[in-house]
Amino acid sequence: MLGYTMPIYIYVIESLLVALILLSSFAMLSSRWVSFYIHSYAFQSFLIFILTLVLGIESQNINLYLVAFLTLFIRTIIVPYMLLRMIKKFNIKEEVKLSVKIPLSIISGLLLTVFAYFLIYRLISPFSPKIVVNASSIALSLVFIGFFMIISRFTTITHILGILIIENGIFLLSVVVVPTLPIIVELVVLFDILVTLVAMLILSMFMKMQTGSFSTAMLKRLVG
Amino acid sequence: MQIFIVAFLIIPLLASLAPFIVRNKRFAEYASLVSSSLVLIGSSVILYLSVSLKTISIFNKAIVIDEFGAYIILLVGIVYFLSSMYGISYMRLAIEDEKMTDKELGRYYLFLNLFALTMLVAPMINNMAIYLIDIELTTITSAFLVVTEITEKSIEAAWKYIVVVSVGLSLALLGTILFYLSGNIPGSAHIVSSLDWTVLSSHAAYLNKDIVRFAFVLIVIGFGTKVGLSPMHTWLPDAHSEAPSPVSSMLSASLLNTAMYGIMRYFSIAGKDVGFGYPKAIMIAIGIFTIFTGVMGIINQKSTKRLFAYSSIEHMGIIGLGFGLGGLFGTFGALLQMLSHSLAKPIMFFGSGNLLHKYKTKDIRKIKGVFYVMPKTAFLFSIGVLALIGAPPSVTFISEFLIILQSLKNGYYIITIILVGLLVAAFVGLLAKVVSIVFGKDDDDPNIQKGDFGPLSILPMALPLVVLIILGFYIPANLHHLLIGITHIIIK
Repeated sequence: MLGYTMPIYIYVIESLLVALILLSSFAMLSSRWVSFYIHSYAFQSFLIFILTLVLGIESQNINLYLVAFLTLFIRTIIVPYMLLRMIKKFNIKEEVKLSVKIPLSIISGLLLTVFAYFLIYRLISPFSPKIVVNASSIALSLVFIGFFMIISRFTTITHILGILIIENGIFLLSVVVVPTLPIIVELVVLFDILVTLVAMLILSMFMKMQTGSFSTAMLKRLVG
Repeated sequence: MQIFIVAFLIIPLLASLAPFIVRNKRFAEYASLVSSSLVLIGSSVILYLSVSLKTISIFNKAIVIDEFGAYIILLVGIVYFLSSMYGISYMRLAIEDEKMTDKELGRYYLFLNLFALTMLVAPMINNMAIYLIDIELTTITSAFLVVTEITEKSIEAAWKYIVVVSVGLSLALLGTILFYLSGNIPGSAHIVSSLDWTVLSSHAAYLNKDIVRFAFVLIVIGFGTKVGLSPMHTWLPDAHSEAPSPVSSMLSASLLNTAMYGIMRYFSIAGKDVGFGYPKAIMIAIGIFTIFTGVMGIINQKSTKRLFAYSSIEHMGIIGLGFGLGGLFGTFGALLQMLSHSLAKPIMFFGSGNLLHKYKTKDIRKIKGVFYVMPKTAFLFSIGVLALIGAPPSVTFISEFLIILQSLKNGYYIITIILVGLLVAAFVGLLAKVVSIVFGKDDDDPNIQKGDFGPLSILPMALPLVVLIILGFYIPANLHHLLIGITHIIIK
C-alpha cells in the first residue's frame, strides 16, 4: 500500500491474495458455464474484501474497514445473489458462446497482464515499492481482462460480469495505490454498481422476453 | 441560496413521481411541462446569480456553480423545456398510433424527469468522482427512456448504450483515481488530497506530470464515450434513433454537453499542470477524427433519426476541436456552438418525430414531398436544417466561423482545410437528404392524411428557430460577457 511501511508478513499475505485474485479472473476466462463465472466473481470479491480488511487493520484506517465490509456485503453477497437468482428464475443452462476459444482466451489474458505490468511499472515505479507495483499491475490487468470478457463472450450475464470485474480492478487499484481516497467516492461507486446491475438485469429480462434468449449474438440489426 | 438550489432540484423529482401520485395522463403531461418551465426560469436565475456572484458555493463546497456550470445548466433547462412541450404531442400520437400502454407512459414520464434531474445535478457537483457517478446515472435513466417502447431494436440500442457507456465511464473512473494519485504521491512536497475541481485547478501545478498525462487520456476516452467522440461513438446513433423523439433531443442536445463539461474541467486542470499544448493536441486529433466519422455517417445514411445522430457526432467533434484549438476565438466558438447545437438539434429531432408519426417510417427514401403534406413542419424542418449546418444568418455560422478563424490564427492550415472540407461535405450531405425529404416527388399515398399535427408539435420547433436566427444577427452583450468569462475560466 502506497505511503505506508508494513511488516514483512503483510507483504507476503498481500502478494498471495493478489495472486489468487488474478487466478480467479483466469478461472473465469477458462470456463463456459455462467454459474461458474458468478462463483468466481464472488470468490474474487471475497479475496478483495480480505485484502482491504488486512490493509485497514494494519494501517488503522477506519475508512478502509467500512469499505471492506461494504465490499463484503455488496460485491460478495448481494451482487452474486442477484445474478444467481436471475439464472435460477429463467432456468439458464445454456453455455456461453465464445468468439475467442478458451486456450486463446487464456493466452490473451496473460498478454494483457504483462501489458498492464509494463504500463503500471512505467507509471508509478519511481515512487512506489515493488509490492505496490505488483498489486496495482494485477488490478489493472483485471480491468483489461474485464474488457476482454465483454468483447469475447456473447451473453448479457457475461457482459455484466465483465463490467463488474473492471469495477473490481479499479477498486483494488484505489485500495492499493490511494488508500486515502475519500470514503464518499467508494460509497457512490458501490451505489453505482448496484444501480447499474439492477438496470442491466431489467434490460436483460426485457431481452429474454422479447428474443427468448440472453445471447447478445443476435443484436446486430442496428448498423450504418 | 441552499433552499433555492434544493427547491430547483426537487421540482423535476416531484414531476417524475406525478404519474404515480395522480393516475391521470393529462396530469403527468402538465406536471412535467410545469416542472420544465420552472427549471428553465430557475436555471436562468442561477446563471444570473453566478454571473453576479462569480461562484455560488454551498453545502461546504460540495456544490459549486461557476459561470461555466450555470451555462451548461441553462442549456439543459432549455432542452428539457422544449422536450417536455413536444413530448405531450408526441406521446399523445404514440398512444393513438402505436397503442402505447399507460404503464409505458408512466415509465416515460418517471425517467424523463429523472434524466433531466441527473443532468441538472452534474454541472453543480464539485467532486469529480461524484460528477462521474452522476453521469453514469444519466446513462441508466436514459437507457430506460430508450426502451420506452419495448421492441427488439430498442432493447438492442439500450443494451449497447448501457454496456459501452458503463465500460467507458469505468475508464474515466480509473482516470479520476489516477488524478487523485497524482496529487498524493508520498514524499512530494505538496499533497493535494482532494478530488474537487476547485482544489485541483488551484493546486494544479503540484500534480505529478507523468500521471496527469496518462490520466487525461483516460478521461478523454471515458467521458468521450458519453460525448460521442469517435471511435467511442458506437452507441450514439443507435440510442438516438431508437429513443422517442423528445428523448433523442435531450440525449443529443443536453447530455452530450454535460459530459463535455467534465472533459473541459480536466482539460483546464491538465493544461495548468503540463502546459496546454498536450491536452490541446489530444482534443484537436480526436475532434477532427470525430467530425470525419460524423460526416461519413451523414453521407451514407438511410434513416432520418440516425442522420441527425451522426450530425450530433459531427457537432461534438467541432466543439471538441474548438476547445482544442483554444485561444479566445476557438473556445468562444466552441461554447457558442454548444448553444447553437442545443437549439438547432431539437428542431430536427422534433421534425423527424412528426415525420415518423405521419409516415410510420424512418427511411429517408420513403419519405417524400413533406412540403405538400405537412407544410408547417416542412417549413420549420428545412429552415432548421439550414440553421443546423451553419448557413448564415444562424448563430451556428458564427460559431463555426470563429473556430475556423482560430485555426487560421494558430497557423494550422492543414487542419483548416480538412475542417472546411468536412463542413462543406456535411452541409451538402444534410441538405441533399432534407431537400429530398421536403421537396421530393410526392407519391400521393392515399393512406397519408394531409395536414400538420397540433400546435404543441409546431411550437417547440418554432421557438428555438427564432432564437437561433435572432442570435445570428445580434449577440447580446450579456451573452458575450458570459462566454468571455467562461473562456477565461477554461484557458486561464
